[in-house]
Amino acid sequence: MKRLFVVLFLSSVILGACSKKKDNNPSADIKILSLTASVNPVKAWDTTVITVEALGDSLQYGWVANHGSFKGGGKSIKYAAGQCCIGLNTITCRIFNSTGEVTDTIMIRVTSYYDPKEK
Amino acid sequence: MWKVTNYCIGVFLLCLMLRNESFAQCCSSGNPFISDAEQPALQSRVLTSSLAYRYSHSSKFYSDDSRFNDLPFEQISTSNYIDLQVGYGITNWLTVLVDLGYFFNKTLTTSGQDPYRGHGLGDLELYVKFNAYNNPESRFSVSPSIGVKFPIGIFDQEVDYVQLPISVQPSSGSFKYTGNVFISKGIGKKIALAAFLSYEYSQLINSENFYYKYGDQWIGALYFNYQIWKGLSMDIQFRNEYRAKSTRENNEIVDASGYDVLFFTPQLTYAFKHNWYLSAFSDIPVYKYYNGIQMSFGYAVSLRLTKKIDFFTIQARKQANKL
Repeated sequence: MKRLFVVLFLSSVILGACSKKKDNNPSADIKILSLTASVNPVKAWDTTVITVEALGDSLQYGWVANHGSFKGGGKSIKYAAGQCCIGLNTITCRIFNSTGEVTDTIMIRVTSYYDPKEK
Repeated sequence: MWKVTNYCIGVFLLCLMLRNESFAQCCSSGNPFISDAEQPALQSRVLTSSLAYRYSHSSKFYSDDSRFNDLPFEQISTSNYIDLQVGYGITNWLTVLVDLGYFFNKTLTTSGQDPYRGHGLGDLELYVKFNAYNNPESRFSVSPSIGVKFPIGIFDQEVDYVQLPISVQPSSGSFKYTGNVFISKGIGKKIALAAFLSYEYSQLINSENFYYKYGDQWIGALYFNYQIWKGLSMDIQFRNEYRAKSTRENNEIVDASGYDVLFFTPQLTYAFKHNWYLSAFSDIPVYKYYNGIQMSFGYAVSLRLTKKIDFFTIQARKQANKL
């Protein structure tokens, strides 16, 4: 029984210590030309389309937001955020292929769903 | 026994120090609070192991204490979750508990769109519970506990390289520290009253491109337990969960965060032979207050299967048989 608990605790320590850092291998063969949003600022729960233009072969696109959510994928993606996420949010676009990856960010301001005149 | 106790406390403290930074975002709360009746600290050399299943469903937006129906879409959030908990009474005054959650799915469906679906390990919780006071004659006990939640699960789950929203990520992404106290008093042979108070502090998540801190959480619960029949007992619980507002970049307060919900939780438990227990319970909110506009808690139904092993009694029986 003692051994069981020692194993449980050690397992928890190992699990807790595991980090999930991504390998960042910068690529000189990929060049981002632009990263733009169709609407900015955008009201809570409304949608803006974010588009990236880049040069490189067989490119793949990854998207991460610190607040809000995406729909779709590829070089053009829909972004929206609820009332929980009003403020200046950072959208990170990661473009990668076999040579490595590059990233760029765009700041999207999400405004309140309420009309300020009403509330 | 003392060596094991010291070792466990040492490892527990080591866990506190291992605060790895993980990529993180906002608005998730990790493992749900499984709200069946809390238990006092275990006696020495008693082990309990339980597996709980929980289904939860939410679909209504709230603003303050009223439904908010102005949004031009409908959303339904559901989850299927299991929770494995193992507790062991190291001494008569010290119990260690380990709790691990796993989401089979955490799904958010918006009308007219494909659903978001996350799954995987939630948070790992470690607790030490103390038997501060126990009077078997008057059936009165006081059991404080402290614990840590480790965000070991996934918090940056992606589909086709696109990150899923936080509301369907299985882990909270934040270390959390809790302090609880459970007080129980038996009245006669068939009735027991109990109270549970819990405070949870969430650590600031401060990673490369993210800064977020969940608001502090308070939970207060009152339990009424009645033994209906031989092995069948009923619990009625009223529980208040309060979470303060969160903080994001530049120490901005997130206005649409934090809530105050009062739950009614009925529970039935049947004790089978050989210390097997089966519980069924549900969480029904009877009052909800949400800051700003937020999706509110709907309902949850749960089942828990528990096995209790008393190694002290087993050993005593073996020795008696030898004689």
